[in-house]
Amino acid sequence: MAEDRPDVEIPPDWLAEFEAAARRPLSVRWRYAFIHTYKPVLDDAEYRSFETMEEYRKWCNENLPDWLGYGSV
Amino acid sequence: MALFEYKQAEEIRDAFARHGARYLFIGKSGAILLGYPDTTQDADLFAEKGDVNGHAIVAALEELGFGLKPEQVHDIVRGRDFVQLKNGPFDLDLVFAPDGIETFGEAWSRHVDVAGFPVCHIDDIIASKEAANRKKDRESLDRLRSFREYWKRPR
Repeated sequence: MAEDRPDVEIPPDWLAEFEAAARRPLSVRWRYAFIHTYKPVLDDAEYRSFETMEEYRKWCNENLPDWLGYGSV
Repeated sequence: MALFEYKQAEEIRDAFARHGARYLFIGKSGAILLGYPDTTQDADLFAEKGDVNGHAIVAALEELGFGLKPEQVHDIVRGRDFVQLKNGPFDLDLVFAPDGIETFGEAWSRHVDVAGFPVCHIDDIIASKEAANRKKDRESLDRLRSFREYWKRPR
């Protein structure tokens, strides 16, 4: 929990987007939010599981294309 | 894979409630429920580990149309840290031990109810993304932190 975080100034364009979103009903926000594009490797199996999050991160680092953004920084 | 419709989110909420499953929306889908405007492709659920809750989740998922195989049932009941389902009516990630959050109980004590959807507090959503430290999380963190400031303002 980041209780002692420094003040964050909200950029005006983001603030406008947050306010616009707040005016929309939840069902509309949800409809705008969910998209689907094919993600290579990640979408190529119907199921996978990992014993630990560390194993999952390692698998992402070693198997997913870098541009998907799942790799650790 | 079809889009994840709001009606399906309601079905998750209702099926999980019927079976008494304990979970929280986390990740970007959780933030979106809180009002964060962005896009995502699947829902992430932070589920409480444990046999009873695992069986409740399995029952709810089967009711929702996930054709779970014995191996998948076993993994969910055991509470493997990360379970990714792409063989149901929508994609769903079950996370039993998200990075950056100590226990389910702590997250539950801070959770927010949005139209009956149990959602992680924005601080926990941000903490998990900070701890995961993925490229895609790094890109969204500044905007999420700004949203937190907005979300916490008195209205």
